[in-house]
Amino acid sequence: MITITHFLVVSAVIFCIGLYAVLAKRNAIMILVGIELMINASILNFVAFSRYDKVNYGGQVFALFAIVLAAAAVAVGLAIILNVYKYYKTINPANINELKD
Amino acid sequence: MNVSITDILDQIIASLPLFRPELLLIVGFIASICSALFVEKRLKNFTSGVYLSTIVLSIYFLCAQLTTSATGFSGMWIVDKLSTYARLIIAFAAAIIGLFIQQRHKQDNNGDVYSVLLAAILGMNVLCNSSNWMLAFIGIEMVSIASYVLVGYFSKQKKQAEAAMKYALFGSVCAAIMLYGLSLIYGLTGSLDFQSPQQLQGLMVAPEPIVTIALLFVFVGIGFKLSFVPFHVWSPDVYEGAPTAITAFLSTIPKIGALILFTRLYTVWSSTAFYFSDLTSGFLLFVSIASMLVGNLAALRQKDIKRLMAYSSIGHTGFLLMAVFAYQDAFQYLLFYIVAYVLMNLATFIFIDALEERTGSTALSSYAGLGRKMPVLFTAFTLVAVSLIGLPPTMGFMGKLMIFSAVFDTYQMADEGIVLLLLVVGALTAVISLFYYFRIPFYAFLRNTESLQIGVAKSQILLWVGYLLTAFVILLGLFPGLLLNLITA
Repeated sequence: MITITHFLVVSAVIFCIGLYAVLAKRNAIMILVGIELMINASILNFVAFSRYDKVNYGGQVFALFAIVLAAAAVAVGLAIILNVYKYYKTINPANINELKD
Repeated sequence: MNVSITDILDQIIASLPLFRPELLLIVGFIASICSALFVEKRLKNFTSGVYLSTIVLSIYFLCAQLTTSATGFSGMWIVDKLSTYARLIIAFAAAIIGLFIQQRHKQDNNGDVYSVLLAAILGMNVLCNSSNWMLAFIGIEMVSIASYVLVGYFSKQKKQAEAAMKYALFGSVCAAIMLYGLSLIYGLTGSLDFQSPQQLQGLMVAPEPIVTIALLFVFVGIGFKLSFVPFHVWSPDVYEGAPTAITAFLSTIPKIGALILFTRLYTVWSSTAFYFSDLTSGFLLFVSIASMLVGNLAALRQKDIKRLMAYSSIGHTGFLLMAVFAYQDAFQYLLFYIVAYVLMNLATFIFIDALEERTGSTALSSYAGLGRKMPVLFTAFTLVAVSLIGLPPTMGFMGKLMIFSAVFDTYQMADEGIVLLLLVVGALTAVISLFYYFRIPFYAFLRNTESLQIGVAKSQILLWVGYLLTAFVILLGLFPGLLLNLITA
């Protein structure tokens, strides 16, 4: 029997993996992957909770919009990273540090 | 639940008049894409015409909504005075920024930038008008994605590409964290409307640790848009790296929308006597104090004027949060300070840009000795700086005075130590800001340098707009009633 707890545990684990990928900061693409994982953890949460919201399925609608917005954000992010590669020949955030205090 | 589809359709059609300014923005967005694709090559500047006429028409429709106070789309869309005035301020600022971009980027502009700007303004309007988490998230993401594109749009240097990347990555992480917080809130309460009693009741009975996590995660997303401490780290880099016209956009418009959302959220969430209300108001007080301190202290050691303005706007955000704290039912103080902030920031960035065009630098030291060569510009710049500090007889002073007195009234009623601390920090940081804003006239009038090359300005129109804004800052500082009567009438 799979209960809501299972969904929540899985989504929390995915969220933490995503957060780790972001904080480790090896590579700009890896950060984008981490962001995508975090968003998908939230989408999983929304869909799981939406089972108990029989009135208007707000969670499922939210999940659909979140998928669209995540795709748009990642597309823009990839274009920007491509532009950065053109100037710096690297996408490691540690080496891209012309702007600083 | 079975609601017949005809009922839903009837409700949507009945709500459409409330959505008129936004529908117009959508039409303008599509029209400006088409015009940038097909017309711009033959008729230069046609798209900016489309942009400006869209903004003017939306101002017209917003004025028609001034007396409306209603909800539509099954409670998702709120139109009230606060949102209408906020959208009017956004539209006016957007018109000036459109002119700014049109004047400043004539060669490298093929018109696409206006459609992105319109999308950002649409997102801001959504933020102003919603009490629903789904619309709020869509609004925040629309503004964010459009801003990432804008920062990288005129990318000609390494710095701009880097600023765009830092902004996009930081912003997406904050949005993802906020989304996770929202999913937790949805799970705890079963409602997505933050003003609904169902959500408040759900938050009252939920266990404290999970409420703490959910609320703090949600504030991360709002904090990124408002750039308060500790989510401000992106803003100095992005402000410095982005073209000045885009920096003017980033420092004004996105903050208005996010601030209105946060105000709505705060008034409802802080109204109960339960744990989540204490957490919300404690968080607001903490970030307000921290933003004022960090922003103003870090600004002291900046050498680049755009970085200095970034920290100064973090400090102003702290002050605006103080206005949110004082906001009870009278929103005119908050709106007055928002208007003051927008006017001051737009004028400052127009002057910074005019100087950058002539000297080719945004370093403070490049202003040395320029005061004698451009006396009018630097006099106006100094007046705006006086207003940013909050000294009379300017608008910044009146705005700060009103907020201070409102917070002081709250202190006298509640008698809490932390509110007094808020007042003290607010006053203290205003004094600190004196030191760095006055470095602008100090360099311009009191330092001398050898003969330096000053280029010729291409556009005078923009400078005149800057002088006009400065005149407004002084005029509304002397006669604040002009604006306050308009807002309260």
